[in-house]
Amino acid sequence: PPGPGGVAVPRAGLKKYVLPPDYSGITLPERTKLKFMDKVPAVPKVKREPRQLRDIRGPSREATDFIQGQYGILALGGGYLHWGHFEMIRLTIARSMDPKTMFAIWRVPAPYKPVTRKSLGHRMGGGKGPIDHYVTAVKSGRLVVEVGGRCEFEEVKPFLTQVAGKLPFPAVPISRDGLQQMRQEEEEKKLNNQNPWTFERIVTANMLGMRKYLSPYDLRLKGRYWGKFFLQHRV
Amino acid sequence: APAAKMAALSGGAPWRRGWLPALQLVRRGSKAVTRHWKAMHFQRQKLMAVTEYLAPRPAVPPRCLPPKKETLEEDNGYARLLRRQVEEVFRDNRMIAVCQFNSMPDEDVVLMRRYLRKHNIEVKFVLNEIVRPVLSQSKYKNLLPLFVARNILLVSPERKVKEMLRVLKGVPQVNLLGACIDDTILSKQGVENFAKLPSLEASQGQTVGALALLPSQTSSLLQCGSQHLTALLDQHIHRLQAGETGSTAEPTPAQSS
Repeated sequence: PPGPGGVAVPRAGLKKYVLPPDYSGITLPERTKLKFMDKVPAVPKVKREPRQLRDIRGPSREATDFIQGQYGILALGGGYLHWGHFEMIRLTIARSMDPKTMFAIWRVPAPYKPVTRKSLGHRMGGGKGPIDHYVTAVKSGRLVVEVGGRCEFEEVKPFLTQVAGKLPFPAVPISRDGLQQMRQEEEEKKLNNQNPWTFERIVTANMLGMRKYLSPYDLRLKGRYWGKFFLQHRV
Repeated sequence: APAAKMAALSGGAPWRRGWLPALQLVRRGSKAVTRHWKAMHFQRQKLMAVTEYLAPRPAVPPRCLPPKKETLEEDNGYARLLRRQVEEVFRDNRMIAVCQFNSMPDEDVVLMRRYLRKHNIEVKFVLNEIVRPVLSQSKYKNLLPLFVARNILLVSPERKVKEMLRVLKGVPQVNLLGACIDDTILSKQGVENFAKLPSLEASQGQTVGALALLPSQTSSLLQCGSQHLTALLDQHIHRLQAGETGSTAEPTPAQSS
């Protein structure tokens, strides 16, 4: 409150002691560092598989929530992770975290999907190329790694942002509260949208014959996804 | 190649004249999922533009409204303890003096506390934000204007005001603002007057003396008349005796009374 001269007089009040965070319910697993992921699965595939890009498209149905850890990296787009990405993640996190107080776990499987590549400098034709490497498919909304232990989000955020920037799809470091808040904001946006026309409404009713220009998958994707990209600003 | 096309076109229902199959359109474009941002059909672009999110706009923008002051009432256990202590202080002690405390060197503070401790006066440092709510809810509401800026409480179960004032006179940085002695609020002048009063025993003796004054006079008042008469008659006798010894002896000693 300002004093007689109009200037606020600084006073010292009672010090409010902040209690240290409570880590009582957290148990560290035996191996706190990330497991080594193989380049090629133990049983390499013989039959070459079709491309099936639908494993990149749309929202993820698995690994969308936290299991053991408190913080993680959330994928905001679809993409393929190959062995180089896995090694980068593993080494960066192992270098930056404290194995005595923190732990990290994978939320994506080791590369399982074979990707073929034709040798360089050849013309089209001559059949499908041989298997070059293996990848894991990641859809948007999936957690890639989870980090937990006796640590705060601010300690973990720097190296998780570093890792998230190097992934082939847009990703963000996130905590349990952050994820919950994100979902809550989405719900609120849906509710207080002033626009009476939503993509979902127009597509389900096929207004103006819009389905001629849209894919049948747009009924499920509802305008939030375009190819492998996730449009976060859209309702 | 044209013969094959004619043969195919002459087939079943989809191959009617003038009907273009959709496969021809798909053949030339890219797949649904691409590494680059695939160009949208113009109709789709229009649809995306129409169905964008519109944020709600209240009639009065929130920055024109008065700001909402959210009072966080986190009842600190420590604050509760301090409040309880202040209540105890006000309950237990008979004399509570409120003084303004300016910053002093620490050794002077220690000396002052020692001198006051000799007279069984305790020095308590209080925080205004704790004392003010406690006082406003008790009967000491009129002490509230004293608790502004840095202050201390000098509390004691006895009432040694003279010694306290002597110590405080030697310490220029502590100024007496007011006191509450036996549930009576006194200002600085009042405290000085209180100090100048005689001690309890002396005042008790004085009241007893004043009360006993009248009864002590009653006996002398009652005996006054008869004593006066006795004195007059004695005088008379002396004068008569002096007159008779000059002339003759007294023939009638029975007349003397």
